[in-house]
Amino acid sequence: MKNSKKAIMSVVYFVAGMIILGGIWALISAVTKNEIPSPSATFTVFKEVMHKPFQNDPDYKGIGTKLLSSLGRVAIGFGLGSLFAIPLGLIMGSNKITMNMVNPIMQILRPVSPLAWFPLGLAIFHDSPKASIFMIFICSLWPTLINSAFGASHIPQDHKNVSKAFGFSTWKYFTKILLPFSLPHIITGLRLSVGIAWMVIVAGEMLSGGQGLGYFIWDEGFNGGSIAKILVAIIIIGVVGSLLDKCFTALQKKFSYAI
Amino acid sequence: MSNISTIGSTSVENNNMVADKIIEQAFAAPLSIEVNNVTVSFKTPTGAYTAVKDISLTVKKGEIISLIGHSGCGKSTLMGTISGMVQPTAGEVFANGKKVSAPGPDRGIVFQNYSLLPWLTVYKNIYVAVDSALKDLSTEEKIALVETNLKMVNLWEHKDKLPGQLSGGMKQRVAIARAFSINPKILLLDEPFGALDALTKSAMHVELLKLWNLDHREKTIVMVTHDIEEAIFLSDRVVVMNNGPAATIREIVDVPLKRPRNKKEIVHDPMYMDIHDRLLNLLIAKFSIDDEH
Repeated sequence: MKNSKKAIMSVVYFVAGMIILGGIWALISAVTKNEIPSPSATFTVFKEVMHKPFQNDPDYKGIGTKLLSSLGRVAIGFGLGSLFAIPLGLIMGSNKITMNMVNPIMQILRPVSPLAWFPLGLAIFHDSPKASIFMIFICSLWPTLINSAFGASHIPQDHKNVSKAFGFSTWKYFTKILLPFSLPHIITGLRLSVGIAWMVIVAGEMLSGGQGLGYFIWDEGFNGGSIAKILVAIIIIGVVGSLLDKCFTALQKKFSYAI
Repeated sequence: MSNISTIGSTSVENNNMVADKIIEQAFAAPLSIEVNNVTVSFKTPTGAYTAVKDISLTVKKGEIISLIGHSGCGKSTLMGTISGMVQPTAGEVFANGKKVSAPGPDRGIVFQNYSLLPWLTVYKNIYVAVDSALKDLSTEEKIALVETNLKMVNLWEHKDKLPGQLSGGMKQRVAIARAFSINPKILLLDEPFGALDALTKSAMHVELLKLWNLDHREKTIVMVTHDIEEAIFLSDRVVVMNNGPAATIREIVDVPLKRPRNKKEIVHDPMYMDIHDRLLNLLIAKFSIDDEH
């Protein structure tokens, strides 16, 4: 009863917020004499763009196809990054020497703009899609690395005592204590990483050209002179990004324990 | 001489008593725990901190003893040297005839804050402990051990719950079942009932003695506590410690009350009252605001 009321109210607040945003948008559009298209004009373009979204011909690719190709590159870069960052983070968190060796390197590489890695990737792979994957790989390392290391280094003494008192093997310690304790932290790291990866892919595709949503904004939006298409792409990118975040929030919920 | 518990007196009478005790211990039940001149120091940023200094203590097989003292007096540290969780800086500890260098399956530990793994069910919490400590058993034997011990503490119907779904008393029963399930010769309890309310605590005391009885009183139990009533009700001897740093044993008080003991009746026993008074005097310096100290 209380929950359903809460759910209804959250929808009401969401709609109210959207109406206010739409109002401001319409106002800006009116002030700029439709240079910025109005919400209704944008919606018309949106319907146009959404026509046959998954068409995949050499001369015309639908918006859905572009979205999937962007998502695919994110999945590969983020997946490879996580496969590398989770084990390294857990080792860093459990071993002070590794931590002291890797941490300063990470502190130097982490603030580097994602875009700076792109030319390096291009030089290594001689292929622009691979270069964007490389860029995503690098950028999605850091949050997962930091959070996994944090999890592994904050295992309570109580849990360690259990392992010591009952003579857990290294494998048992890893599977029954280290991994389950670190898992919520790892998932937090993954959630932050996937958010960054999704932000970076748009920039990457603008640079690499040819494929994905980033290129769509640049080519069909800006070069094609359709600001409405830019707005449509921004909305799609935002919605997909928040859905990705929702997936990881759900995972987070699943793996948190009452102590 | 330093092996012996009574400290501080040099009179001839006392020496004789000490000698009698040595003979008595040598011929009675075999020794279960032997602590020889143990000192434990920790490194701190401000220099070495000595928690306990030059402590010697022997415990017979099947005996229940309590270590009692003020917070920070090193009683948990002393017990840590028996469990093998703490390495003595000087001196040695023997448990079941073997020198202690690390925790082992011959010593079961019940920790102060239950220390259950929150992501494992009650059943699995015990199973992983049995699986690790008793590697040589078959899977069936391990399962049987977990089942027997969970039933013993009346938690079989809660076996699939996570620790977060249990009350404090239930969690402590799981921790006790876990310690019992590896069937250790020595049971080490570190302020096991400290976090429980008074009523649950009383029930747990009886429960612990019941488990000890079921096992033919063969397990040696060492318990750290700061509860005088608990110490007397459960123990054969109460080891009173001085305040740290560099804590030593102040006195060992015998509790020759007959077993099985009855919670309700024991408090009216004059012997109980004497022991209670003795312990209070040892532990508390000031009884009222009028006392001059």
